[in-house]
Amino acid sequence: MFRFAQRVSVLMAGLVLTLVATNCGKKADQTLPPPASTGVVTVTAVEMGRAVGGDKRVTDKTDEFKPNDVIYASVVTSGTSANSTLKARWTFQDGQVVEESEQAIAPTGDAATEFHISKPDGWPAGKYRVEVFLDGSPTQAKDFTVK
Amino acid sequence: MGIFGDDKKKDQPKADFSNVQSGSSSTAPKPAAPAPTGKTYVVQKGDSLSKIAKAEYGDANDWRKIYEANKDIIKNPDLIHPGQSLKIPPA
Repeated sequence: MFRFAQRVSVLMAGLVLTLVATNCGKKADQTLPPPASTGVVTVTAVEMGRAVGGDKRVTDKTDEFKPNDVIYASVVTSGTSANSTLKARWTFQDGQVVEESEQAIAPTGDAATEFHISKPDGWPAGKYRVEVFLDGSPTQAKDFTVK
Repeated sequence: MGIFGDDKKKDQPKADFSNVQSGSSSTAPKPAAPAPTGKTYVVQKGDSLSKIAKAEYGDANDWRKIYEANKDIIKNPDLIHPGQSLKIPPA
């Protein structure tokens, strides 16, 4: 009988400790301020073309260019961020990096960022790719050709 | 193998992209510039770099920190003028 009472009291003590611990946890959660929102921005589309408008969106979409074209890639983003960096890496079919350029942005909603490249003596014919990175992470890529 | 899996171009001379021109622009605003660090101090009559260093850092020997941060306006560290605005770098 004494043993039974001892076991019950141990169990009760454990239960009380558990309740106290749980309650403490809740209290701590309640007093914590909500996490500060740093914002999230995502790349929703990459458009290729020969020209962009004032909204930085491509007005003349194509993935086939002529050697003397200025080549535009318009990166469409959504979301907000206090400080993000978009990077466009342009590569030729043999893996050569043609050009890399970056643009720092602090979007407050939907936005478009254009990157463009040109070559005064004309683009060599062949296949190219533009890869878009957001804060160093690859997001989308587009292939295009010069004929 | 090229990134597009085309091995036919292997023997061709490498294309020259050294004169490629590029640019970018965005409808998104640019990130705010980081807040400037340190503070400024306007030189008073009778001040010296050592005196300012003593007041700002508690050590007159730190005058060189102030001198280094203001080399564009201080030609001679022994000669500062009242009214000069000096950048005081963080300790």
